[in-house]
Amino acid sequence: MTPPFRRVLVANRGEIALRIIRACHELGMEAVAVYSDADASAAHVRAADHAVRLGPPPAAESYLRLDAVVAAAVAAGAEAIHPGYGFLSEREAFAQAVEEAGLAWVGPPPAVIAALGDKLAARRIAREAGVPHVPGTLEPAVVDRPEQVEAVVAAARELGFPLLVKAAAGGGGRGMRRVLSADDLVGALLAGSREAASAFGDGSVYLEREILPARHVEVQLLGDAAGNVVAIGERDCSTQRRHQKLIEEAPAPGLSETERRRLHAMAVRMGLAAGLRNAATCEFLYDRDGAFWFLEVNTRLQVEHPVTELVAGLDIVAEQFQLAAGRPLSARALAAAERAARPTSHAIELRISAEDPARLFAPVPGRITRWQMPSGPGIRVDTAVEAGDRIPSEYDPLIAKLIAHAEDRPAAIARLRRAVGEAEVGGIQTTLPFHRAMLAEPGFVDASELSTTWVDAHWDGPRARAAAVRVAALAAGLATLAGDPPPGADTAPSGAGSTGEASGDGSARAWRTGGRALSVDRWPA
Amino acid sequence: MSGPRPRPPTTIAGPTDAAEPAATTPPVDPRAVRIGVASATRLEGDPAFSFAPPPHPVLQPAPAGEPAGEGLLVDGMPVRARLHRFDGVRARLEEEGPDGTYRTDVLFGPVHRDHRRGTDVREMVVEGWRVEVEVECERRAVLRERARRGAGAASKGGPVEVRAIIPGRIVAVSVGPGDDVEAGQQILVVEAMKMQNELRAPREGSVERVGVAVGDTIEVGDLLVVIH
Repeated sequence: MTPPFRRVLVANRGEIALRIIRACHELGMEAVAVYSDADASAAHVRAADHAVRLGPPPAAESYLRLDAVVAAAVAAGAEAIHPGYGFLSEREAFAQAVEEAGLAWVGPPPAVIAALGDKLAARRIAREAGVPHVPGTLEPAVVDRPEQVEAVVAAARELGFPLLVKAAAGGGGRGMRRVLSADDLVGALLAGSREAASAFGDGSVYLEREILPARHVEVQLLGDAAGNVVAIGERDCSTQRRHQKLIEEAPAPGLSETERRRLHAMAVRMGLAAGLRNAATCEFLYDRDGAFWFLEVNTRLQVEHPVTELVAGLDIVAEQFQLAAGRPLSARALAAAERAARPTSHAIELRISAEDPARLFAPVPGRITRWQMPSGPGIRVDTAVEAGDRIPSEYDPLIAKLIAHAEDRPAAIARLRRAVGEAEVGGIQTTLPFHRAMLAEPGFVDASELSTTWVDAHWDGPRARAAAVRVAALAAGLATLAGDPPPGADTAPSGAGSTGEASGDGSARAWRTGGRALSVDRWPA
Repeated sequence: MSGPRPRPPTTIAGPTDAAEPAATTPPVDPRAVRIGVASATRLEGDPAFSFAPPPHPVLQPAPAGEPAGEGLLVDGMPVRARLHRFDGVRARLEEEGPDGTYRTDVLFGPVHRDHRRGTDVREMVVEGWRVEVEVECERRAVLRERARRGAGAASKGGPVEVRAIIPGRIVAVSVGPGDDVEAGQQILVVEAMKMQNELRAPREGSVERVGVAVGDTIEVGDLLVVIH
C-alpha cells in the first residue's frame, strides 16, 4: 500500500514522539521532529529524518507555539501533522491552523475538538444521543445574582451532596472542587471558576454528582471520512491518583459480553453524534450497580493506547495516518471492532514517571544514571530515555510505559511482576515501587477493588518504603564492613584520575568507576 | 574465589583521642559504621542503624556448619545477613528471618564523599526505591553527637566545650586563656573545603582553655576551646 503521506511532522516530544516516528518509518513516511533547547539531542530528534528547533525549554516558548509548529511543518515540506497527546493535541485553533496551511491534521476535525472539548457541550451531545451522562447540570452554573444562586443551590440539592464542581473547559482535575454541603457550594463555584479561568481562559463551571466508588472505563473509537465510527475495545484506567492515571489495562476486568456490547454501542453513538473522525476515546464511570455514566471524550491519541493495540492486534497510530489521508477504516480495524466484545487476551500498562510515590507522587526531575528496562516474551516498553539523560522539569514526568501482554489477566500480572524485577533505574526516583506494590495488592490482583479513589485512600508511600530503607542500610553497612572504602579514609574510591567529586555531573560514569574499584577489591593482587 | 580483602580499621586523627576525657568514652569498635538516610531522600521517621562487625569477618563464605553472618550486630541486635555482590552495581542481600531466608536485589549507586561532614553518601536502589544512605564511622558519629550535646550545653551555666563540627585546619586563633568573650565573638577560623569558617563563642564568659593552635588539623568532635 502506498504511504498515506510522504512526510509528517510530529508535534511532540518524549516517548509518544518516538512512538509516532516509528509508525511513520514503518509506513514508509519521513518524520520531521520539533524540539526545544532541552531536547536538542533527545531520542525523538535522533530518530527523525529532519528536526526543527522551536525555542527555549519552557513549553510555552517551544512545544506550545502553535504558529511556530505550523511554520516548521510548511518549511520542512511536511504534508501532515500528528500532535500526539498533551501540548497542542486538543487545541481547536491548532487543528484549524494546520488545515488552513493546507496540511492534513491527524486527529478529529477542529469542530469536533471544539464541541467535545467543552464538557458541557459534550454532556448535551450525550443527552441527545441517548447516552446516560453523569447526573448534573447541562448549563454553566452562574452565581452572579441572588436568584441564580437560589437556582444553583436547588439544582445541587436535587443532585445530592457530596458533589463536584467541574470546569467546562477542564481536564486533569483543574478547576474541580468537591463540595460536601450547600454552605460550601457558592465558595467552591467561585474558586473553581477562578482556577478554570486562569488555567483554560474559560471560567465556566457546572455541577456533577460524585459517583463513588466507581471505575474509570473508556472506549477507543476510530472514525473515517465516510462517517463510520467503530469501537476497538475498552480500557480500565481506575488506578489513578488525583485524576492522573497510573495503571491502565485492556479489556476492563469482569465485564460480560453483554455489558461490553452496551458500553461500546454507547461510545459509538457519542462518536456518531459528534461527527467523529480519526481517533478519540470516550470515557465513562462504571458504578457498583453496573451502570455506565458518560464522562467526557478525549479527541486525541491516549497515553494508554498500547494496551488496546496489543489486545486488538492493531496499530492505532498507523490507522490514524490512513484515516487522516481520507482512506476508509481498514479491514483490520473493522475486524478488530468485530472482536472487541469478546477479547481473547489481556494487556496492562504501568506508567513509569519521575515521581516519588513516598512524597505524594511529587515530580522529581534529575539525571538518570542507570536505565535497564525489562524484555522477554510479552513485554513492550515505550520510552525515549536512557542512562545519562536529564529529565527536564519543564515537561510531563512520564518517562516510560511498561506494558505486558498475555493470554489473560492473571498471566499479564505474573508477567509484569517478573518484568518490574528486571527494571533497574538509578539517579531518579520513579513510580516503579508503587507498581511493584500494586502487583501484590489483593484488591488489584483479583480486580475486586478497582476504583478511582483507591490510591488516594489506601496508598501509604512512606510505609511501603520502610522495608526498602532497612535493606538499603543493611546492604550499605555490609558492603562497608566488607571493605568498601570506609568513610573518613582519604583515598577517593576510584583512585587515580578521580577528584573525589567525580559523581557530580558524570554520574553515569561513576557507576562504572565504582564497578572497577570494587572488582579490584574482590581480587586482591 | 577469595573473599573481600580485609580493610585496616578506620583511624581517627590522633588529637581527637587525646582530647577525649577517657572516662566518658564507651568502647566503640573502630570498624563499626553508622548508616542513616541522607538528607536528600530522608523522610520524617527514617531510622539510622549502627553496624558492629563480629569478631570474625561475616562476609566471607561462612565455614561449614556455621550460619552465614552470625554475629553481625545491628543496633546491638544480632542479625544474620550476607551480601553477594555480582558486580560493582548489582548485589543480593540474603537475610535470615524467623520463617526463612529473604533475598532482595539491591543496586549500588555512585558514592559522593561529603568532605565537610566526613561521611559518604551513597545511592542505593531497593525494589525501585531510591535511598541515599549516609555512611559514617560509628566513632565519628559518637563524636559528632558529643559535639552537638556540647553546643546544647551552651544555654546552661557551666563551662562550655566548643568542639569541631567540621574537619579542617586552624588558620587563626583569636582568643587566649583568660580572655573575656562575648556571645557571638569570633574565637577561631577553620579552613575546610578551601572555605574559611569563623567559629564564634556560643555564650559570654572567659576562656579557660584553648586546645588547638594555628596549623593544627582538626576532626569532627575535637575539643577547640573551653569557655567558663
